[in-house]
Amino acid sequence: MNPALQRARNRQMVIFLLVCSGMLLLLGRLYYWQVLQAHSGHNLAQLANDEHTQSIILDAPRGIIYDNQGHILATNVVRDDVYIEPHLFSIDHTGDNQNGLDSLTQSIHKALPQVSLASLQTGFGKDLWAIRVAVRIDPEQSLLLRSLRLPYVFLAPRTWRVYPAGSLAAQILGYVTQSDGANQGAYGLEGLENQLLTGRPGAATIETDLQGNPLTVGVNNQQKPVDGADLSLTIDSNVEYMVETYLMKAVKDLQAQSGAVVVLNARTGAVVAMAGYPTFDPNKYGDYYNSTGCLHTQQVYFNPALYCAYEPGSTMKAVTMAAALDQGLITPDTALQDDGCIAYSDAPAVCNWQHTPYGTETMTQVLIHSANVGASYVAHDILGMDRYYPYLVRFGFGQKVGIDGPEEAGFYRVPCGRGWSSCDKDWTMSDLTRQAFGQSIVATPLQVAQAYQAIANGGVMMRPYLVAAVNDDGHTTVTQPTTKRRVISLQAAQLLTEMLTQAAHYGTGQLAQVPGYSIAAKTGTATTQGISEDQTEASVAGFIPASNPQFVVLVKLDRPRVNIYGSTAAAPLWGQIAQMLMWYYAVPPDLQS
Amino acid sequence: MNRQRNRRTGSRVKTRRLLQAVQQRGQLHPFFFRLGPVALSICSVLLISLMAILYLSQLGQAVTVNQQLQDLRSQQSALQRQNNDLVNTISSEQSPAYIAAQAGAQGLIPVSPQNVQIIVVPNVKTQQNGDGSGSP
Repeated sequence: MNPALQRARNRQMVIFLLVCSGMLLLLGRLYYWQVLQAHSGHNLAQLANDEHTQSIILDAPRGIIYDNQGHILATNVVRDDVYIEPHLFSIDHTGDNQNGLDSLTQSIHKALPQVSLASLQTGFGKDLWAIRVAVRIDPEQSLLLRSLRLPYVFLAPRTWRVYPAGSLAAQILGYVTQSDGANQGAYGLEGLENQLLTGRPGAATIETDLQGNPLTVGVNNQQKPVDGADLSLTIDSNVEYMVETYLMKAVKDLQAQSGAVVVLNARTGAVVAMAGYPTFDPNKYGDYYNSTGCLHTQQVYFNPALYCAYEPGSTMKAVTMAAALDQGLITPDTALQDDGCIAYSDAPAVCNWQHTPYGTETMTQVLIHSANVGASYVAHDILGMDRYYPYLVRFGFGQKVGIDGPEEAGFYRVPCGRGWSSCDKDWTMSDLTRQAFGQSIVATPLQVAQAYQAIANGGVMMRPYLVAAVNDDGHTTVTQPTTKRRVISLQAAQLLTEMLTQAAHYGTGQLAQVPGYSIAAKTGTATTQGISEDQTEASVAGFIPASNPQFVVLVKLDRPRVNIYGSTAAAPLWGQIAQMLMWYYAVPPDLQS
Repeated sequence: MNRQRNRRTGSRVKTRRLLQAVQQRGQLHPFFFRLGPVALSICSVLLISLMAILYLSQLGQAVTVNQQLQDLRSQQSALQRQNNDLVNTISSEQSPAYIAAQAGAQGLIPVSPQNVQIIVVPNVKTQQNGDGSGSP
């Protein structure tokens, strides 16, 4: 064979053998990965995907809470947490690294003065991948740290709930805690409507580059997050602020332990303001962990208007009168003989405050004098248990209102054997005679305000509500005022309103008067059995203007020391709040002089 | 002699034809003209380089756009963050407590109920707010 041809064939053979070797090598490697390694427990495809894909949770912003004027009461901000990477630092600085460490820690400390040098040195000494050294740093500090581009330091953003108005309406709103990056509402609306406010987080699977940055190409599966619903409340920030300010001043001036105020729209049942004192700042809720409200019996986070039940005292006399008026058993002019005390064969005697006798007095005068004897007489001798207790149910006592959380239902004893759904075997006739003037019954301030709202609204009780509208993913649901039930007849409500107007004008509510406006109000001074009689709960419940009720106001002060009576301690505060409401809403005066 | 010469001439011709066949096998006809192996290699390298340049330029553009998109997303995130902060600041400065504090700092004091006078205008009927909305 020609040598040139022979060389050409040899070359071909060499190339062929090289290609064959390469193919064999590839086949061997393929067998190793696809057969041997595939059965050794490694999910190679998953591992390969993990190299360049990321599954991330897309946070849903928590819903914003507005007042009825559109002012923000609760919103969200993003703040950075600062982490250091000690393990990476130790890998990169195997030898003597003290100089580098000093320089780094000083740079961090300069940007974050709140983090001490010692804690940074200690942190870098640990064998951990990442340590958080600062939480929720200021935006200026974030900018500074980003511009410094310090090695072994990174920032992790986190969303925080903030309340721009500070402590305003704090006990209505509650607060939000963070646990493992998840927000959880606690107390108030944040707790009650947590699910609605939280929304639904989304998820995404994205391809990333070596640095972990998402790529625009490749498979991107995304399930969009659903933002939390925004809530618009019925409360007005300005009114709420003024009510809170007046209440705080009254509690301090009278050296009371605590207090609560509820303002309802008399026609719709909407909560215009609801205040408690002491209160807290939800931005720093942790600082108030040891603070207590409601006679020091509860943490300050509870809303006392819903969770600080009390014996309403003489404000309950209006309910007793309402029951009797509605059934036509009395008129405002029905008279009784009041000798200061009234004796019963089946119950202990009931006496007026300081056993004061009023002689012959009408039912209107019973309210003017705030006479226990008259109220007890109506409940025991005129109504009786069968005609009295159904009205307590109708007025909503012992039942949760359900507008905010957490809430107490209140309590009163009911006799057994009458076919009622619940009863108490310890009930005695003494319970009935005392419940008539607000003892042996426990109610929340909101329940008492709700009862007066029914009287103010011509006997029709509206369902109190706090959330005026819910904006959920673009769909707005507006709360319409809802009738709960008719509690008493229109005529009974009108008669009772006139009696309460007389009581406020001539009786114990004189300090609650508002110039130019008629008011219908009843004071209450409740004492608790077993403790000193000067430890009172002073309250006033009523509505204004009496001729065309617009607002129902309930004021309660717990254990005031300077003035202990509803007529002297709570009435001036009631008048101040009522007057402010008339001015603020420009309600025309209904009195000519 | 002639036969031997003819045999030699025949084998030379055969060898020449074989060599020509081998040489022609190396001279491929990828287009309408002939290319030698060196020229073909150079052309192939040039073609591959061109394709690589085209691919890399496309990739470069994609990377650049991706980077720009990342930058825009970062900017969007930063702007959203700033917006949240501004909303918070505005809400804070619109709050009654802040306004009251600022008013107090400027020497203003809350109006006293004692200083308000109710002026009764005769023969003017007050308009009752029947809807009970309680709004101004």
